[in-house]
Amino acid sequence: MVVIMKERATEAQVQAVIAHLMDMGYDVHRSTGANQAVLGAVGDGTADTGLIEVQDGVDRVHRISVPYKLASRTFKPENTVITIDDVRIGGDEVIVMAGPCSAETEEQVEATAAAVKRAGAKILRGGAFKPRSSPYSFQGLGEVGLRMLRSAADRHGLKLITEVMEASQIDVISQYAHIYQVGARNMQNYSLLRELGKTRLPVMIKRGLSATVEEWLLSAEYVLAGGNMQVMLCERGIRTFESYMRNTFDISAIPVVQQLSHLPVIADPSHATGRRDKVAPMARAAVAAGADGLIIEVHCDPDRAKSDGAQSMFPAQFERLMAELRIIAPAIGRSMCVEPVARRGWSR
Amino acid sequence: MHRLAELRGRIDEIDLQLVRLLNVRAQLALEIGRIKHEAGEAVYQPAREAEVLAHVREVNSGPLDGGALTRLFERIIDENRRLERLADAARAIESKERGE
Repeated sequence: MVVIMKERATEAQVQAVIAHLMDMGYDVHRSTGANQAVLGAVGDGTADTGLIEVQDGVDRVHRISVPYKLASRTFKPENTVITIDDVRIGGDEVIVMAGPCSAETEEQVEATAAAVKRAGAKILRGGAFKPRSSPYSFQGLGEVGLRMLRSAADRHGLKLITEVMEASQIDVISQYAHIYQVGARNMQNYSLLRELGKTRLPVMIKRGLSATVEEWLLSAEYVLAGGNMQVMLCERGIRTFESYMRNTFDISAIPVVQQLSHLPVIADPSHATGRRDKVAPMARAAVAAGADGLIIEVHCDPDRAKSDGAQSMFPAQFERLMAELRIIAPAIGRSMCVEPVARRGWSR
Repeated sequence: MHRLAELRGRIDEIDLQLVRLLNVRAQLALEIGRIKHEAGEAVYQPAREAEVLAHVREVNSGPLDGGALTRLFERIIDENRRLERLADAARAIESKERGE
């Protein structure tokens, strides 16, 4: 870090800061200018910039290194590619995860899985444990829902991503899912993240409602530090002063995180907007911005969905969107799955 | 052109002497570090550092001014302080291994 002393800092104050930095394990490079002293602290010290900022005589402190290590591009310059059988997340292909907000009935899960597969999705999304804003809202079907989701995924050759809300659910979910999803509200549930670090299934961490990019990457760091290197991040909109949409979709976070980190970045235009008519434009924008994948809510009968109906797409809307994305992806050097052969035959 | 080459040759010669002298100076600093360590004194001795800087400014006759000389010697002091710290750390590991 670089410590800039105040113009009127006394020699004793400068010396006290140098001593403090050395106590923290840094080597100090002092440079005395005409008006103020600048101290460069280098090495593997424990960087509590706040502690230095409050020292007498300190004007400001700039941190040079980032607090996350394993998640950073400096640690691993090449992209992380997460491979689940034939699905590669973080490679050239833009991977689409789609499905209902929650598993409700066998029929609903089956019809939705069939529809998203037909449109070209590779991964089925669906919740069995639901973190709802209200305790009186539908809370999910639990293991029954997981079973429904997995059997539908298997029938259609899809992988399954589902949300884990607490550490006690990790075991049961691991029996059904291919990817754990950590929801926005749990992004800073560090005990859950630590437990997921001990598992060996991929983890997708959604960005917290008011989380900065750095806080988000630090959450990934918790999982990586446990030894689970299969982590992806998901931008799902953040809280801003704008109240017209449910959240403000931070598209710029996609290239920002891809520059800072080697982890794949997925975009969730459904939660980011909260309205199905805004999902397609934001999905197109996310792919154009370079997202490694999308996670989209699709329901076979959205108007009767038990949760998130307003933001769930009709299968036909989703299919149209996928066709558009197949045009956008190649424009930035990415690929999208081709339509399944069966679907092409059916449409003629 | 001949003159330029000659001057550059002299600079190289002086650099050689500077490197030798800097290392002699570093050896002395390490020896001082060892004595400070035995006396239980800290590596960082701000009063002594200020003395060293005041001394070099005092004996300076230019064309480098006092500020320039201070900055140059701050670098030398920074590096010697680092050397002392590393030696201290090595001693700490050694005494730990001996089970002290």
